[in-house]
Amino acid sequence: MKTILVSLNEATRTVNSGRHKITLLDNINLNVEEGEFISLMGPSGSGKSTLLNCIGMLDNFTDGGYTFLGQPVHRMKEKNRSKLYKEYIGFVFQAYHLIDELTVYENIETPLLYKNVKSSERKAMVADMLDRFNIVGKKDLFPIQLSGGQQQLVGIARALIGQPKLILADEPTGNLNSKQSEEIMELFAQLNKEGVTIIQATHSESNAAYGSRIINLLDGKIV
Amino acid sequence: MILNYIKIAFRTLRKNKGYSFLNIFGLAIGITCASLIFLWVEDELSFDSNFPKQDQVYFVSTHQEYEGEWRTFGSTPGPLAEAMKAEIPGVVRASKTRGLDLLFSVGDNVVNRFGRYVDNDFLDIFSLTFIEGNSAEAFKNPESIVITQATAEQLYGEHEKVVGKILKVNSTDNYLISGVIENLPNNVSYPFAWLAPFERYGRDKEFTREYGSFFADTFAELSPDADFEAVDAQVRNLLQEQTGDADSKAFLHSIKDWHLRADFENGEQVGGRIDSVKLFTVIALIILLIACINFMNLSTARSEKRANEVGVRKAMGSGRARLMIQFISEALILAFIATLVSVILLLVLLPQFNLLIEKDLVLGLSKPSHILFLLGIAIICGVFAGLYPAFYLSSFKPVEVLKGLKVTQGSATFIRKGLVVGQFTISIVFIVSTILVYQQIQHVKNRDLGYSKDQLISMKVTGAMIEKFSVIKQDLKNTGAISNVGLSNSNILNGGNNGSNLTWTGGVDTEDILISFRLVNAEFFETTGMELKEGHGFSENRAKDSASVLITESFAKLMGKGSAIGKKVTLDDTYTVVGVVKDFLYGDMYGASDPVLFLNYHDEASFMYLKTNSEIPTNDMLAKVEAVMKTHNPAFPFEYSFLDETFNAKFKSEQLVEKLSQLFALLAILISCLGLFGLAAYTAEQRSKEIGVRKVLGASVSGIVKLLSKDFLKLVGISIVIAIPMAWYAMENWLQNYAYRIEINGWIFVIAGVVAIIIAMVTVSFQAIRAAIANPVDSLKTE
Repeated sequence: MKTILVSLNEATRTVNSGRHKITLLDNINLNVEEGEFISLMGPSGSGKSTLLNCIGMLDNFTDGGYTFLGQPVHRMKEKNRSKLYKEYIGFVFQAYHLIDELTVYENIETPLLYKNVKSSERKAMVADMLDRFNIVGKKDLFPIQLSGGQQQLVGIARALIGQPKLILADEPTGNLNSKQSEEIMELFAQLNKEGVTIIQATHSESNAAYGSRIINLLDGKIV
Repeated sequence: MILNYIKIAFRTLRKNKGYSFLNIFGLAIGITCASLIFLWVEDELSFDSNFPKQDQVYFVSTHQEYEGEWRTFGSTPGPLAEAMKAEIPGVVRASKTRGLDLLFSVGDNVVNRFGRYVDNDFLDIFSLTFIEGNSAEAFKNPESIVITQATAEQLYGEHEKVVGKILKVNSTDNYLISGVIENLPNNVSYPFAWLAPFERYGRDKEFTREYGSFFADTFAELSPDADFEAVDAQVRNLLQEQTGDADSKAFLHSIKDWHLRADFENGEQVGGRIDSVKLFTVIALIILLIACINFMNLSTARSEKRANEVGVRKAMGSGRARLMIQFISEALILAFIATLVSVILLLVLLPQFNLLIEKDLVLGLSKPSHILFLLGIAIICGVFAGLYPAFYLSSFKPVEVLKGLKVTQGSATFIRKGLVVGQFTISIVFIVSTILVYQQIQHVKNRDLGYSKDQLISMKVTGAMIEKFSVIKQDLKNTGAISNVGLSNSNILNGGNNGSNLTWTGGVDTEDILISFRLVNAEFFETTGMELKEGHGFSENRAKDSASVLITESFAKLMGKGSAIGKKVTLDDTYTVVGVVKDFLYGDMYGASDPVLFLNYHDEASFMYLKTNSEIPTNDMLAKVEAVMKTHNPAFPFEYSFLDETFNAKFKSEQLVEKLSQLFALLAILISCLGLFGLAAYTAEQRSKEIGVRKVLGASVSGIVKLLSKDFLKLVGISIVIAIPMAWYAMENWLQNYAYRIEINGWIFVIAGVVAIIIAMVTVSFQAIRAAIANPVDSLKTE
């Protein structure tokens, strides 16, 4: 029996826009087991990003239950929530979102700083990661000096450095050409094989195919 | 972690050079300015603090009542010091003193130095340190003199082996040097270059032993456990008993108040320099505040650029506190750099500042208090300036900023605008104050003095100047450089001898009116240009005037209606008024002067006035006068002053306010402009897409410049509205200090407002024009 990582029960997200209440996510029921590679698909505005953000605890469901590793996230205080995602979740963004003022090395190191990892350990972990992604030679470069694919590689390395159980990737290849895309998806597949759970949002059928399960969203509902 | 912050702070700095420059430079100017003021304040506060007995030393002054008004004088009768010591239990030491200039000559080396004839107690009251000799032996011989180290060096080129030498004084007397004391610091209220036994001064002067003559400066030391109130009251009683005069109240003025709290009004202490100290401290803080506001403004304006970083860091697991620490650290780093820059600025500017305020301030970076102060200022500015950006930036929600949504800037924009309004309000208040202070000083300087201060040279009477007066006068006139020579017993600009023991025709309660006496020669009036309103002046033949006086118009009024000519004034003898002179101004340049009585008697003259011929160049004129003086008064150096310069010097403290307010206004405007410049740059950048679209749609460059400038001008407009009542209130208050003052004129506010608008326009339009002439293709393609 595999561990259930994420469990959503009638999870709903609404926003108020003027006098109207808009439902972004409508009664989502979803269980994600450890080791799964899920692709969220659907047209723009269907709620993929909102769902990822809510699972990633950067945003909250307004209704319904959300359990992460058996802990009821919907009943947690902000502080505990942030502790939880810091520990278990890594983010990969479409626009990479590297910090321009930091070098590759420092970008990858940042999450460790927030986890209060000791300096010597940090060095070893970052070195491992640079090695693993074959970017040792680029460690002192700034993001602006890298190609898009290389930047996303750093983004993934940064997401992985904290050894998360779950990687949330919002259109990770949206800004890349097809060759770079393919490389990134291969990397995800490789990581998934090594045991990392991944949820990605994507428009691309071919990218979605890398996943073990595809979930289609439309107007905030799973279809 | 901290290292990470520092690293990122420096990289941000380097990446945004223009922004960093505005930020650091603005703060550095603020810190420099505040530091200069605080150095001055420190100096003011440290006056007389080098004397160890801070709680025990007092100066005896008196309040005296004339015409229902209490005035305050520093002089006391000679016997008071000894009587206080003998009769009042709390007084352990007391000294009467008399301050004078003495002329010392050692060979060809002739110097004039101010010092005091004192009682032996004086040495111990001020705990003076002897380098040679000692306080117990110093005054054993009444012909002795103690000099400061600096005086010794000036006279002998050294300060050792000086004791025992004979010093020639005023080219006639011989004093024995019995001691050398350490130099006094510059910030001493009653400085002196020498001290000699009072006995030597008072030997042939009967008045020094009587209670009737108030001439001495009296210092007293109380025992540590003395009850101040009781001693103060006893001194008052003592003087009243001895003089039998209830209108003269002695009081003790503490050494701690000599410099800072020395203004008295109607018998009450009403402040003094302490008011300026407080005012400038507040101004320093305001300038720091403006600089910090700049910092906040520029930081929050750049928030959009940092928003992404905040989002990423939060997604990576950073809590809000950590982000705040990060942003405050960045602000601190900037503040420290600014402080370093300001230390450099201080090193460059301090000599100029010293010239301006006529002081000798030193930066004193080796003093721990100064280092602590600078560190403190850096930390306070850093934290204060960084706090708001830290709060604001760290509040961004990662979901929103990472999605690339525009940061909602409602509150930040409002606060930013508020801060700009605040800065400009302060700047406008400074502009208005600067104009008004300038006007007030000019107003008083241009006041009709009742005499002409121009082309007038003043010399102190020394040596044989009186004996040989007629020859000197003739020789001076023969040079063609001098047209008139006058003599007077007191400086025309200052008070001088006065008294209330006269009676006159038509006089009521004459003992209640203070009259000034001037002992002058006949030519004094012509020399100074004083105007004769009635009757005639004095005669060259003094014998003719043995029973004549001239009086001023205000005196004539006291004699009742009709011409004062022929009326009588009784002093010791009875005199007849032969002429009435227009009132003239002396003493307090802002008030009205007491009535004056002139006698044709110049034997006790202390000042010689020369009216110069304006056609002769100053240097030639001085050379000619010097030649005459050298011939007839060879033992004394030729020393002189121009009366108009002495007159200007009377406005020192007002002129300090004037100069400093100009400086502060300039700095406040400069700092505010830096901030406005940065904001304008930011706005232009933020609206570049809008500008691009507008241009594509056909907007003109001038239209866009107007669009971008309009908002800022609105803010300046609001500032003007707020600043006017503030400035009016503050300056009306300031002007109340002066009896003779200007009215505040409405157009000053118009000028200040226009100046502020022009400055803001120039600052903003530079950025606006740059944005408006940019190619829209560049700004649109990035989106």
